[in-house]
Amino acid sequence: MTALPGFRSGSAASRSVLTRLRRNWPAYLFLLPTLLLVGYFAYYPAYIAVTRAFTDWDGLNTPNFTGLDNFRRAVTDPVMGEATKNMGIWVVLGTLLALVMPLIVAELVFHLRGRRRQYAYRTLFVIPIVIPSLVLLLVWGDFYRSDGLLNQLLGAVGLGGLRHEWLGDPHTALYALIFLGFPYIDAFNFLLLYAGLQAIPEDVFDAAKIDGATGLRRVLRVDLPLLRPQLGLIAMLAIIGNVQYYISPLVLTSGGPGYATTVPALLMFQTARRDGDFGYAMAIAFLLMLLVVVLTLLSRLISRGNR
Amino acid sequence: MGRTGFTAGEVVRQAILIALGLLALFPLYFTTVNSFKDRVQYAENLLNVPTRLHPENYALAWAQVQGPLVNSVVVTVTSVLATLILASLSAYAFALMDFPGRHLLFALTFALLLVPDFLTLIPLYVQIRNLTLPSNYLAIILPTVAVGQPFAILVLRAAFEAIPRDMLEAARLDGAGHLQLLRRIVLPISLPVLISVAIIRLVPVWNEYLLPSLVLDEAHRTLPVALVNFQGGGAATAVTPNYGALMASYVLAAVPLLVLFAFLMRYYIQGVTSGGVKG
Repeated sequence: MTALPGFRSGSAASRSVLTRLRRNWPAYLFLLPTLLLVGYFAYYPAYIAVTRAFTDWDGLNTPNFTGLDNFRRAVTDPVMGEATKNMGIWVVLGTLLALVMPLIVAELVFHLRGRRRQYAYRTLFVIPIVIPSLVLLLVWGDFYRSDGLLNQLLGAVGLGGLRHEWLGDPHTALYALIFLGFPYIDAFNFLLLYAGLQAIPEDVFDAAKIDGATGLRRVLRVDLPLLRPQLGLIAMLAIIGNVQYYISPLVLTSGGPGYATTVPALLMFQTARRDGDFGYAMAIAFLLMLLVVVLTLLSRLISRGNR
Repeated sequence: MGRTGFTAGEVVRQAILIALGLLALFPLYFTTVNSFKDRVQYAENLLNVPTRLHPENYALAWAQVQGPLVNSVVVTVTSVLATLILASLSAYAFALMDFPGRHLLFALTFALLLVPDFLTLIPLYVQIRNLTLPSNYLAIILPTVAVGQPFAILVLRAAFEAIPRDMLEAARLDGAGHLQLLRRIVLPISLPVLISVAIIRLVPVWNEYLLPSLVLDEAHRTLPVALVNFQGGGAATAVTPNYGALMASYVLAAVPLLVLFAFLMRYYIQGVTSGGVKG
């Protein structure tokens, strides 16, 4: 049983900790590279971020402790208020988009007849993943231009009156960014829901059929309740992801016009990069992290309560 | 099953799916057809297939994009390989070895999934700027390897734990050490899982924009950063860029993933649907 030091075996628990420490040195050697890397490139910057939130750090000089000044500033900053409102809209609409279209497609593909047909369509909806996310962003930026595809299409179907500088108008810019990426079929979410449908036992569908639940009624009564774990996971990931997201306003609008597309995460980035105010930026990041943690805990509680 | 008839409902379902699938692929079509047009053709019609092709757009785009494309390949391949190697070692320790602090160290690695990117971005930028490797591939490879560890370890640990113990015991009796066990038995058996993890990690590393835009100099610039620069400040600017060349650069940016997924698509689908990702 003891041919190799450090191998997991039943008798291990009976040995003293010191002997086990000495015998199991290879384990620590195996873990060392990961722990060093994770410590230096993940935990240490996180520690810096959290501690610097309470200082006037400029990224270069020694930071001075300023207590809650940065947080007071964040709470009273009207720009931060507008950014938070934008984020709220983004989170609600973004989460809906992440759920609805992948669900519809997963349902349609799953109820096709024949494995091979399902396989072919499933592949079709994963193929778009080859489009680099930034290319998608930039192409949609072009669609939204005054001479872009969207306005040309509107003109072609006689709705020329709706032509618009989509990203330049403060009333439409935020929504243009949120609704970027039609038809919103995220490959990951789609696969998750499809796998969830596959995991439902065949007899459940048979029983539903006997009870007369077919078509939309079956989807509402049978599929949706049974897909709750997957839907919950997608919703949680979408909410947390959208709270953090700021690449499209950074690349396409720089948060403008005015502050129409500014979200807190973008404000954090610009406060640090453009204004050099790293301390305040970290306070915003700290508040966002608190929000993410609270949302994560909340969703855990809700999903546990449902069980 | 075996029922493969074409009922009315089935036809409608397939029609909807084909329409949605084509719409999802539309950006690919749009960039491809427009990458072959000159300025006049582009201004006339955005949707048609050009009658006269302008492949010289690709020469123009290639000149701009070839450096960043190579950089992106170097960074992505190295990062994903390093992620797999380090995660395999750690997952082996967590799955098959018994040592004090096992649960604590695993929790510590796993808790990393809860550290959000935006929190660490700026400190990382300052940290890397102060290191001696600011304008180096490593400036982006090391952080992405760190970020990839929890997911990779989680999935690989589950795969390694599922390997039949008899097989490992037999090799042990033949005198194989841990590294030999890992290399000769554990890794070969887990090859499909390794490929799944690789391809799932590869997509975000290939698409990574923020950190590279901060820490890489012009010579080491990756593709997403180069595309944004090539675009010239986004859609809000007044200057009309050469759209044909721009679109050609977008197509070139998609080619590596296209080639990769042509061969490894099923590993991605298996990886996401197998439950390893559900957490």
